[in-house]
Amino acid sequence: MIKAHGLTKRYAGRTVVQDLDFTVRPGTVTGFLGPNGAGKSTTMRMLLGLDAPTRGRSTVHGRSYAAHPAPLTQVGALLEARSVHPGRSAFHHLMALAHTHGIPRRRVEEVIDLAGLTAAAHRRVKGFSLGMGQRLGIAAALLGDPATVILDEPVNGLDPEGVLWIRTLLTSLAAEGRTVLVSSHLMSEMALTADHLIVIGRGRLLADTTVAELIRSAGGASVKVVTPQPDGLSAHLTGPGVTVTATGAPATDAPVHELRIRGVDAAYIGRVAATHAITLHELTPQTVSLEQAFMDLTQESVDHRPQQKPPPPPGPSPLTGAAA
Amino acid sequence: MTTTHPAPASPGPNPGPNASTPSTPPSPAAAPPARYRVTPTRVLRSEWHKLRSLRSSWITVVSAIVMVLGVGLIMGGTYTSGGGDSDVDTVVLTLYGSMLGQLCLVVLGILMTAGEYATGMIRSSLTAVPARLPVLWAKAAVFATTVFTVMFATALVTFAAAQAFLHDTDQAASLTDPGILGALAGNATALTLMGLLALGLGALLRSVPGAIGAFIGGVMILPEILGMLPYEAVERAIRYFPTQAAGALGSATPIPGTISPGPALLALSLWAGTTLAAAALTLDRRDV
Repeated sequence: MIKAHGLTKRYAGRTVVQDLDFTVRPGTVTGFLGPNGAGKSTTMRMLLGLDAPTRGRSTVHGRSYAAHPAPLTQVGALLEARSVHPGRSAFHHLMALAHTHGIPRRRVEEVIDLAGLTAAAHRRVKGFSLGMGQRLGIAAALLGDPATVILDEPVNGLDPEGVLWIRTLLTSLAAEGRTVLVSSHLMSEMALTADHLIVIGRGRLLADTTVAELIRSAGGASVKVVTPQPDGLSAHLTGPGVTVTATGAPATDAPVHELRIRGVDAAYIGRVAATHAITLHELTPQTVSLEQAFMDLTQESVDHRPQQKPPPPPGPSPLTGAAA
Repeated sequence: MTTTHPAPASPGPNPGPNASTPSTPPSPAAAPPARYRVTPTRVLRSEWHKLRSLRSSWITVVSAIVMVLGVGLIMGGTYTSGGGDSDVDTVVLTLYGSMLGQLCLVVLGILMTAGEYATGMIRSSLTAVPARLPVLWAKAAVFATTVFTVMFATALVTFAAAQAFLHDTDQAASLTDPGILGALAGNATALTLMGLLALGLGALLRSVPGAIGAFIGGVMILPEILGMLPYEAVERAIRYFPTQAAGALGSATPIPGTISPGPALLALSLWAGTTLAAAALTLDRRDV
């Protein structure tokens, strides 16, 4: 169980994390989401006592991380940046950490096998690929058999096999009753592993919710319609819960308009258009993907983005099941 | 199973496999293995393991030995009685190579602290030992023990080897002669304390090139420049500076214009201790 109370971090007048309050519960995978630069890594460093909060505090199992007599048994962490001396072998790196807690060599060999590093254990980390480096980081995180696992962008640099391994690992860690907090800037990745989501942007808490709830709040499904007679169509589509939004004209010479319609499905719009002889150039059901819900939620808070909102991804997302 | 496009059979994470396990046992935190605990001895053991599992440690220590022993042999082998070096203290003459050896050990001390910041290892170290200060003390203790043991042994061997050449010259001396053993131990002590000063600088500045530059500029060159100033007080003060105090510690006979070994040991200890204390203060307060 991790708790953050009003966690705030300011660097040289810039507020990186502001007033974060959240609770990460055991037994589930909690996704910690936010665009790059949202303050995820800083928050995680504060949880581990590496950065001191400007205001507020965080606790792990009721105490600040540093107050635990055996911190590695409380929290195992994989930080975003590499935290290994490249001149040391994986085995010696883990052994040096294990010595601080009196963790035996047997356990070091166990986590090396668990992370799939057996063959590379005695090679210097210098020659490791990004994926092997991540695996070493995970091995270090699991060294103390911790009750809580904090992983910062664990799938970065992993091949598909490694990504699958992480997903399975996270799910099984949570099933064992552990607290699992995983950060990512990729909603699609989180959607596959996380049950609960904590979304931050520019250091502020944007959502503390479940995946399904996030999609619901993002507005659910809509239909994209392109027509030269927007007013005629809108007039026939009034009703409770139906909204018609003009989203602009496509970049063609034809005087057509693009509408976003919520509350009725494509079949109904098609029938209405046929009944009233309204020309349609396009009639496309749009599902709000988690990715889209995430972008809607965070678009106010990203530091750098193109001036125009990018068009929604055309294909159906793998999460349509959850969205429906 | 595909990894990039999950089949629709897995409809999103919710409710997910875990939602149906309310019978999940309480967090394992309730019963951590009681035998796992951070203790100062274990941190020492960890730092010792870190030191010996890096190639750079071996390279710097072996280089220091080779410098001291090599220069000592050259000094002994090329010495002629009545030459320009007749008035030089025997131990100082034998251990001329210490100046080169010291550079290697300074680099080792800086690598042990600043090197962890350069590689990011410090984040792992301080996550394992969030109390932080035990890590610095353990590094200093491991460094001091290793360097003193190795350099004292090197001094003894170098002295014996040089005497094989010097026994029939006016630099003939024996370990039992007054001041000889003390000066050999003093030499190793000086190398250790100078190294600790460098280790502290590395922890303070968190940059390997920065700390090496600060050591060379501040500890080695600055006193030489100050010594050019025509003020008696400055000249007297410089005797208490690290390099001058270190020189006084490693001589069997008093060198004119230096302090005696007792105050020299105290002065050098204060330099190293103050630097380490400043490093401890910043380590405790600054973000990693």
